[in-house]
Amino acid sequence: MSLQSLFKMGSLFRSEEMCLAQLYLQSEAAFACVSELGELGLAQFRDLNPDVNAFQRKFVNEVRRCDDMERKLRFLEKEVKKDNLAIDDTGENPPAPLPREMIDMENKFDKLETEMKSVNSNQEALKKNFLELTELKHILRKTQQFFEQCLQIILTKYKKNNNQVYFPIIYNYNLQWLSNIVHFFYYRFVAGVLMRDKISAFERVIWRACRGNVFLRYTEIEAELEDPHTGDKVNKYVFIVFFQGDQLKSRIKKICTGFRATLYPCPETPQERREIALGVMTRIEDLQTVLNQTADHRRMVLSQVALNIRVWLIKVRKIKAIYHTLNLFNVNIEKCLIAECWCPVVDIDRIQLALRRGTELSGSSVPSIMQQMQTKENPPTYNQTDKFTSGFQAIIDAFGVSNYREVNPAPFTIITFPFLFAVMFGDMGHGLLMFLFALYLVLKENRYMKHKPEDEIFKMMFDGRYLILLMGLFSIYTGFLYNECFSRSINIFGTSWNFLMEFRCVMTLDPNKPGVFRGYPYFYGIDPIWQSAENKITVQNSYKMKNAVLMGFAQMIFGLSLAFCNRRHFKDKLTLYCELLPQLLFLCALIGYLCMCILYKWSTAPSLLIGLIDMYMLTDPKSNNRVPLYTGQYQVQIFLVIVTVLCVPWMFLSKPYILYKRSKQKKGHTRFMFFHTKFVKHIKLLIIMLISQFDMSEVIIYQAIHTIEFCLSCISHTASYLRLWALSLAHSELSEVLWSMVMHTGLATSGTSGAILSFFVFWFFSSLTVSILLVMEGLSAFLHAIRLHWVEFQSKFYKGEGYIFSPFSFTLIVEGKV
Amino acid sequence: NKVSSFKIKLENGGFLEGLVRGFKNGISKEDYRHLTQCDTLEDLKLHLQGTGYGHFLANEPSPLTVSVIDEKLREKLVIEFEYIRNHAYKDLATFLDFIKYSYMIDNIILLITGTLHQRQLSELLPKCHPLGIFDQMETVTIASTTADLYNAILVDSPLAPFFKECISEEDLNEMNIEIIRNTLYKAYLEAFYDWCQQKGGATADVMCEILAFEADRRSIIITINSFGTELTKEDRAKLYPRRGKLYPDGLLELSKADEYEAVKRVSELYAEYKPLFDGTGNNPGDKTLEDKFFEHEVTLNVNSFMQQFQYGVFYSYVKLKEQECRNIIWIAECIAQRHRAKIDSYIPIM
Repeated sequence: MSLQSLFKMGSLFRSEEMCLAQLYLQSEAAFACVSELGELGLAQFRDLNPDVNAFQRKFVNEVRRCDDMERKLRFLEKEVKKDNLAIDDTGENPPAPLPREMIDMENKFDKLETEMKSVNSNQEALKKNFLELTELKHILRKTQQFFEQCLQIILTKYKKNNNQVYFPIIYNYNLQWLSNIVHFFYYRFVAGVLMRDKISAFERVIWRACRGNVFLRYTEIEAELEDPHTGDKVNKYVFIVFFQGDQLKSRIKKICTGFRATLYPCPETPQERREIALGVMTRIEDLQTVLNQTADHRRMVLSQVALNIRVWLIKVRKIKAIYHTLNLFNVNIEKCLIAECWCPVVDIDRIQLALRRGTELSGSSVPSIMQQMQTKENPPTYNQTDKFTSGFQAIIDAFGVSNYREVNPAPFTIITFPFLFAVMFGDMGHGLLMFLFALYLVLKENRYMKHKPEDEIFKMMFDGRYLILLMGLFSIYTGFLYNECFSRSINIFGTSWNFLMEFRCVMTLDPNKPGVFRGYPYFYGIDPIWQSAENKITVQNSYKMKNAVLMGFAQMIFGLSLAFCNRRHFKDKLTLYCELLPQLLFLCALIGYLCMCILYKWSTAPSLLIGLIDMYMLTDPKSNNRVPLYTGQYQVQIFLVIVTVLCVPWMFLSKPYILYKRSKQKKGHTRFMFFHTKFVKHIKLLIIMLISQFDMSEVIIYQAIHTIEFCLSCISHTASYLRLWALSLAHSELSEVLWSMVMHTGLATSGTSGAILSFFVFWFFSSLTVSILLVMEGLSAFLHAIRLHWVEFQSKFYKGEGYIFSPFSFTLIVEGKV
Repeated sequence: NKVSSFKIKLENGGFLEGLVRGFKNGISKEDYRHLTQCDTLEDLKLHLQGTGYGHFLANEPSPLTVSVIDEKLREKLVIEFEYIRNHAYKDLATFLDFIKYSYMIDNIILLITGTLHQRQLSELLPKCHPLGIFDQMETVTIASTTADLYNAILVDSPLAPFFKECISEEDLNEMNIEIIRNTLYKAYLEAFYDWCQQKGGATADVMCEILAFEADRRSIIITINSFGTELTKEDRAKLYPRRGKLYPDGLLELSKADEYEAVKRVSELYAEYKPLFDGTGNNPGDKTLEDKFFEHEVTLNVNSFMQQFQYGVFYSYVKLKEQECRNIIWIAECIAQRHRAKIDSYIPIM
């Protein structure tokens, strides 16, 4: 990347400078120009006809034609997917075709659609035929089986009652004989097929409607049949109904149509049935060949479609997007379209170049003109991001899109977010696992970019892969500081305590006992000896708690200094001196002093809490026989309390007052000129401002709310940072519990059984580590880190009331993101 | 306690209620205004894309016809309703089934009437409402008497309990069928009303109000339609659903009426119905009584959305959607037939 383009990239610190531009496009060049701008993706067009209905706009017919093309393509795509053909994806990005090519495309799609439809209807008719024949085949087979079974039953019965002659004795029993009997008693039958889910209702209705004068038998067709219309597999039953008389016959037929059963003629004699069955078989075979040929033809047409459909879809979408954009333009002047768009100031040259290209492409002789406009409207916020920063920017945007040119917290978040997360999640082992997971995603990102992950949760993790990567990295770092790896400490540099001196059942480390502490601290992080100390939690708590307050103060002060940048940038001196300055003083006097005491206290050790209470009770530490932190503490504290108290009216009153005075001066009121001293005059004016009903009341209420909010939040936000300590404690305790309750039991057992036990216990331990410690604890630390940024940090300077820049861009449209 | 009752309510269709409240938002007043300005059905389609109906017509080739729009609108409603029905259980499932029964009644009557007029089944079936389709439905054509109809077909359908009062050995004829329809509907309304009453709570409050109106509307319309037919006053009185606000005194008076003015006199005694009769007439510009009834129904149904954790919203949702579909179809018909004078007489949903 050249240096020039690096500068062009702009910085994340503030959003890009935007300008409102007016474009004058020749009617014949407009399409090509918009097409070029769409490829560029840097202009956000404004709707110049907000009062015109969608269907009354100029290019509505073209949009409609595109809709129709899209519909045809969707139809073709559906057919391709039905045949399980792979859609060719070469990653090619075709330019938007010119309007005159649209007709060709329409014709092409129309032809394909008609062809496809005729193939489909052909196939459906053939399949229907095929289905009927198959059903007939099954009917013949099943009725044959049924009659044979009946014959068997009659024969056995006949053999039993040998002595009683019911039937003429015929030795050569055959089916002919049976059908003769059936015929003899005037039993008729109909046979047909029916959907499986309807059979029981059918049976009941037929029984009731014929008052029990019928004989119904049914059996399932084992093979699944294909519904010719939908192509679904269906299960059907063959049934046969015996009845007497024509009245019943018409009734049964009506019921059959009612249940959408298909009836087939079934001959009564076995010979006829056999003959028909043979005929059916040959016809089925013939039909199968025809069906195969139709399927081949269909496949051939579709494979052509599958090859091109992606490119076609992109082309159509682009045309449609262009016409939608053209519909936003002002078309009232002949031969010229007027457009208004927001665009980044740095990219104006590129836009102009694109316009020139578009004009040349369309062959128009008159150039398109771009001209900047003055406006009082708020421009959109445009932060250029890349794959690394986009995740962090997303966290900020989720809270609120920053105001135009306001300081963007995203670049700072890149460091502070993973750091605060890691403070709560400090563990080398867990951090390493998280780091490796994110590293995998980062290394495989090309593959995943190409084939977008479908799973929403995975997609979220993939989008935040660099965030997770940094979170893991920082967790390893804080894990080193806490000296924890899966809750175990590692003794790298050798402990600086003589633990043998203290090694008893209860081990409390007390540096005041002689000989226990070697006199020099552990080289890096926390001494591993604390792992086994009884007073480990007490010591770590106080350490982490103080750390949390210090980090909180640092971040809040940083937030205020960003607010300073904002005020400087917007040249808002009034807010700077009347709001920001007292805020800064208030925070420093209140919390800053506390932090100073904390740092100081690490060398000496009187109770801080009592010290602070004394400070605000205005009591001299000496009077209560307490040892002061330093000489002159009382005087310093009195001074700080006075500063704090003074800051409140400063914050509250000064800004509204100055605004009020300015508005009075504008109106030219000179009523107060007769006051003698300046001071009295100001006080009078202030009181009048407070008690009278006038247009400043809103300003005052706003200021009052902000003052109260800031003063209270100084305390509550500092307290809120204690979550850093609380979550960190919870995490280390939880992992310790998991180790001692699960892994330790496995390792403590000796012998072969111990080895086997460890094997299973490890499985249990690792799955719990991932699911609870990594995922659940990770999510909770993540949430708290988000909160610390959104509320505690950003409330100091961030408005977040802007709206995001959404340019007209083909890449977004083709991907379906708009 | 409050939390636990909230939880119970939530488990009992809270998700579905939320869903229905989302489905409800279809077309705004502004949208109606735009729709009436459309010149062709294609314009209508384009505008509907921007409303809650979305792309339901996207896969239909041009030129569009009103019947296609009608079919697709209905299909959309049915899909949404079936989704809700498939996720409902216990009481809510019963309630939703009750909503379906009215469509079943309509379907049966449609099929019987059609068969009586020698129409083919294949011709009749597309006209049946998909919400009212049940297994035995298509076989009703075999019946020649009501007893037949009951004994052979409807005895194990969900409509059987409503059929008790109409069983007779008489042959089916036009008059008969109308009586069957009204008797069935009466039994259905009474059963539905009683069920809601027994369910109690907000459901009873909302549904009884709506169903009472429905019952009264039927009574009034039956009376008005009976003038000049063979129906005797005694028979007519048997058809009145006895759950409305008119019951018992109003129905008694209504059964004696033999002209429109008499009906009007009776109804005007009731504060709810008086405004409906005011300003109706056949003069141009006047609204018909039917439209007034529809408007009142819409108001009741919209009000039902004001209360939470009750089943009334499901009923109201179906009714409002139907009304909305009727409105769209009305506008579409006006556009298709180039008959714009009456395009504004749809019934807006507040």
